[in-house]
Amino acid sequence: MANKRKLHFSRTLQVTLIAIFALLVTGQVFAQDPITLTLALHWEPSFQPTQEAFDQAFMERHPDIRIEVIYNTWGDHNAIVPTWAAAGELPDIVYTHGSRATPWAAGGICANLDSYIEATPEFDVAGIFPVALAQYQYQGSQYALPYDHGVILLGYNKDLFDAAGMAYPDETWTMDDLREAALALSIPGQQWGFGGYYNGISLAGEGGVSFLGPWGGASFNETEDVLLFDTEGSRAGLEFWYSLMAEGAIPNAADVASMGGGQIMYTGMDAMWAMPSWETPAFHDNAGFAWDVAPWPTGPAGRVTGAFGSGFCITTQSENPDAAWLYLSEYLSKEGMEFMWGSTGRGSPARQTAYQSWIDSELAPEHASYYLDALANYTVNGRPFQSVTGPEIMDVINQNQTLLNAGEISIDQFIANVMEQSAPIFAREQ
Amino acid sequence: MRRLRRAKRLRRMINVLLIYLIAATGAIIFVMPFLWMLSTSLKASNEIFVFPPRWLPSSLHFENYAEALDMLPFGRYLANTLFIVIGNILGNLFSCTLAAYGFARLRAPGKNILFLLMLGTMMLPLWVTLIPQYIMFSSIGWSNGFAPLMVPAWFGWPFFIFLLRQFFMTIPQELEEAARLDGATTLGILWYIFLPLAKPALATVVVLAFIGNWNNFLTPLVYLRDSDLHTISIAINRFRGQYGGTNYNYMMAISVLAVLPVLTIFFFAQRYLIQGIVMTGSKN
Amino acid sequence: MALLPKQWRNLTPQQRETRDFYLMILPWLIGFVLFTGGPVIYSFIISLTNWTGMNTRDWVGLQNYVELFTVDPLFGTVLANTFIYGTVSVLLGVIAALGIALLMNQKVPGISIFRAIYYLPSVTSGIAIAIMWGWMFNPRSGLVNAVLALFGITGPTWFTSSQWAMPGLILVSLWGIGPNMIILLAGLQGIPQHLYDAARIDGANRWQEFTNVTLPMLSPVLFYVTVISLIGSFQIFENVLVLTNGGPGTATRVLVFDLYQNAFVNSRMGYASAQAWILCVVIMVMTWLMFRISRRMVHYEHGA
Repeated sequence: MANKRKLHFSRTLQVTLIAIFALLVTGQVFAQDPITLTLALHWEPSFQPTQEAFDQAFMERHPDIRIEVIYNTWGDHNAIVPTWAAAGELPDIVYTHGSRATPWAAGGICANLDSYIEATPEFDVAGIFPVALAQYQYQGSQYALPYDHGVILLGYNKDLFDAAGMAYPDETWTMDDLREAALALSIPGQQWGFGGYYNGISLAGEGGVSFLGPWGGASFNETEDVLLFDTEGSRAGLEFWYSLMAEGAIPNAADVASMGGGQIMYTGMDAMWAMPSWETPAFHDNAGFAWDVAPWPTGPAGRVTGAFGSGFCITTQSENPDAAWLYLSEYLSKEGMEFMWGSTGRGSPARQTAYQSWIDSELAPEHASYYLDALANYTVNGRPFQSVTGPEIMDVINQNQTLLNAGEISIDQFIANVMEQSAPIFAREQ
Repeated sequence: MRRLRRAKRLRRMINVLLIYLIAATGAIIFVMPFLWMLSTSLKASNEIFVFPPRWLPSSLHFENYAEALDMLPFGRYLANTLFIVIGNILGNLFSCTLAAYGFARLRAPGKNILFLLMLGTMMLPLWVTLIPQYIMFSSIGWSNGFAPLMVPAWFGWPFFIFLLRQFFMTIPQELEEAARLDGATTLGILWYIFLPLAKPALATVVVLAFIGNWNNFLTPLVYLRDSDLHTISIAINRFRGQYGGTNYNYMMAISVLAVLPVLTIFFFAQRYLIQGIVMTGSKN
Repeated sequence: MALLPKQWRNLTPQQRETRDFYLMILPWLIGFVLFTGGPVIYSFIISLTNWTGMNTRDWVGLQNYVELFTVDPLFGTVLANTFIYGTVSVLLGVIAALGIALLMNQKVPGISIFRAIYYLPSVTSGIAIAIMWGWMFNPRSGLVNAVLALFGITGPTWFTSSQWAMPGLILVSLWGIGPNMIILLAGLQGIPQHLYDAARIDGANRWQEFTNVTLPMLSPVLFYVTVISLIGSFQIFENVLVLTNGGPGTATRVLVFDLYQNAFVNSRMGYASAQAWILCVVIMVMTWLMFRISRRMVHYEHGA
C-alpha cells in the first residue's frame, strides 16, 4: 500500500517535471521575453494621460517591448538622476533639461547617440532645428535630442492696448517702439508697460540673449569662458532696460514680489512681457485677459532673441539601448512630437515639420507662427549651456541681478561684481 | 464671604476671557495660511493670480476637488501612505523606547560617546547622504519599494530616542528603585513603570511620527520608482510643474484634504497628550 | 533577559547594568551600523575627493576644506547667514513655543480647537505651505504688511530686500512651532500638581511659580526642544529655495542651500560633502556646548 502510493507519487512527479520542462522549452522558443524599457520624466498629473496614450500605442506597435514610466517631480528630477547613476540604476531613457545636457554628457549619464542617428535616416535629424540640436552637443557629438525648444517673443495684453487705443506690437517694432509704448502704458505702482521675464529684467541664460543681444551685447562669449557684460553692447542693453525700470515702466523686485513673483504676467497688470513659448499653456489657463505675441523687437544691432529647451537621452547604463533608441526615435519623430506636445499645445516642438500642429493647437496664441519665424531666423541659445563652470557663473550673475533689480546696486557695480566674482571660478577650471 | 466668592468668580472669568483673547489673536495668524489654501483650492484657475488677491473666490469651484482626485489614484496613494506611516510609528515606538531607557537610566562605559554619535547622525544634511544611502539600499536590492522607508524605523530614530530619553529622565528615581528591590527586570521596569508614566511622550511620538512620515516627500520619491507605490505627498509635489503651469487650485485642494487625517489623529491623541493627573497621582 | 547564557547572569550589578544598556540600545546600534554609519563614512570619504556626483572622482585630500576656508568668497557669508538664522530662529521659536504651550495648557473649554489651529501650519505639506508664505509676505497685498499697516507701519519688501529677507525667513519659521508646542505641552503634563500646591502655600505668585516650578521641571524637555530646533534650523533649505532662492544677492544664502547648489547644480559633490562635514562639526560643537551648559541649568531626576 505504502509502496504503491510512493510509486504513484513518483510517477506524478515525473509527469509534472516533464510538463514543466516542456513548458519552459516551448516558452523560450515561442514567446520572446518582452523587454522592459524604463523612462524617467516629470510630467505633472494633467499631462500624464498623454504619455500613457503614447506608450499604449507604442506597445501595440511593438508587443515585445514594455514601457514603464518613472514619474519624478520637476523640482527633484535633476538630483535623483545622478543618484541613480551612482548606484548603477539609471533607467533606459531620462528627461534631460537643456541646462543638464553638458553635465550629464560629460558625467557619463547620457550616451553618445551619433551612431544611432547615422543608422536611422528615417529619423530625419535634419528636420530638427539646428539651434535646438546644438543645445545637446558635447565635444561634437549628439548626447540627447530635444522635444521642445522654447523661444522668447514679446507677449502683450490686448485689453490694455485696446483700452489705451494703441496699436498692437507687430513685426515692424524696434526697441524704441517698445520703450515708447511701455512708458505710455505705465501707471506708477499699478500697471507696468513691460513686465520683464519672470522676475523682471533677466541677464543670463535665454533672457540674457533677448535683453542684451539687440544691442550687440551678450552675457558670455561663444566658448563660455569669458563674461561680456563690460562690452559696449551689453552696457547699452543694461542701460536701456534699467532706465525703463527707473521710469516705472518695468517692475522692480519689490513690485514683482507684490504681484506674486514669477506669476506677475498672469495678473493682467503688465501691458507687455517677455513670453517664452513654453508659458503658453499656463497663460491659457491663468490669464483672465486677451493676449497675443509679436516678434521680439529689433535693436540697434539687429533682431535676436533667446531660446532654451528640454530633451531626452539614452543612458549609458541602459541594458537595451537598441530598444531605447527605437522608442526615442518614435517619441521624437514628427508624429511623436505632434501627438505629445504639438496637438496638445503643451510645448513648441523642436521639429519644423511638427510645428504646425502646435500653432494650430488650442493652447497656442493667435500669432504663434511668429515663434516658428523666430526659430528659423533670429534665435540664439541662452548661455551658458556647454561649459562645466556655467551653472556656477550663472549663479553669480543671478545673485547680482537680484540686487540690481532690487535697486540695491548700480549697473556699474553689477558689472564690476560679476566680473570680479566669476574670475576665481573660471580660474579654477583652467 | 459671598462678595469674596463673587470677586473670585469674576477674576476667574476675566482670566478665561483674557486667555481666549490672546489665544484667538494668535489663532487668526496661524489659521491664515490654511484659509488662503482653502480659498485657492476653490478658485477658477484664472482667478488665482488676480491682483489684489481675493480672499473669497467670485464663484466656488468645488469641482476642483473632484477633478484633482480624478487625476491620480489617490485611494492607492492613501493606502501606501498609511502603510508607511503606521509601520514607522510602530517601529519607532518599539525601538526608541528601548534605546531611550538605556540612555536615560542605565550607566555603562561608552554611553556618552554613543549618545553624541547618535545625535551626530542628525547633523549631516540629507543631500550628501542621499547618494551613499541609495547605493547601499540598492546593493541589497531595496531600491524600489517601501523597505528603505520603513525598516530603519524599527532600528530607532535619534529624534525620538532623544525625546523619550528626556521624558524618562524626569520620572522619579524612587519608583524604579523600589521595583528593582522587588526583583523587577529592566524590561519589566520599562513596561510597568516608565511606559504608563510616559503616555504623553508616547502620544507625542505617535503624532510627530505620523506627520513626519505623512509629509515626507524626497526619500519616498527616491525609493518609490514605481508610481503605483507613490504617496500622497509625492502627488502634491507632482502638481508643481516645470512651467508656470502648476495647477495651484488642484495642488491646494489635495493639500487641504491631506491635512484632514493628520488633524484627526491630533484630536484623538490630545486625550493622551493632556493627562497630567495620572502622573501626579503616582508620585505621592 | 532570562534567555541569556548562564555566565551572563552571574554578574556584578554594574556589569549587569552595562549588559542591559547595550541590549536595550542594540536595535539602534544595529541600525546605526547597517543603515546610517556606512553612508556617513562614505560622505566623509567623498569630501576628500573631487567627485562630480557622476563619473569623475579623484583623491584630493584636504583640498576641498582648504578651498572652503581660503578661496571660496561666499563661504564666510554662508556660515554667518546660517549662524544668524539658526540661533535667532531657535531663540524666538522656543520662547514662542513655550508661551503658546503654557497658554494651551490652560483648562478652559474649547482649548483643544485652538491647539489644532496652532498646529495647522506644521501639518501642511511642505511645498504648499512654502508657496503660501510667499503670498503672506507679499509686500503690497500680503497679510503681514496688512497687519503692520494697522499699527501705522509701512511694511518692508521682505524677500526682495537684502535687509529684510533674513528677518522674513525667521518670521516664517515661527509659524512652524507646532511640534515644539506639542512636545512642551506633553512636558507640562509631567509636572506634578503638588509642587504647584506647595509653592502656593509658600505664597508664590504666578511668576514665581513659573520660575521656581515650571521652568526647572520643564527644563529637560525645553533642553530637548532647543537642541533639536538648533539641529534643524542650521539645516534650513526648503523655505530658502522657494522664498528667496538665497537672495537677494547672498543675503539668505545659507549653508545647505549653497551645498545643494554645489552638489546637484555645479556638479561638485566632493566639495558639497566637505561643506556638509563642516556644518556637522559646527552643529556638533554647539550641541556639545549646550550639553555642558545644561548640566547646571537642566533639572533631571537622575544624575545620568
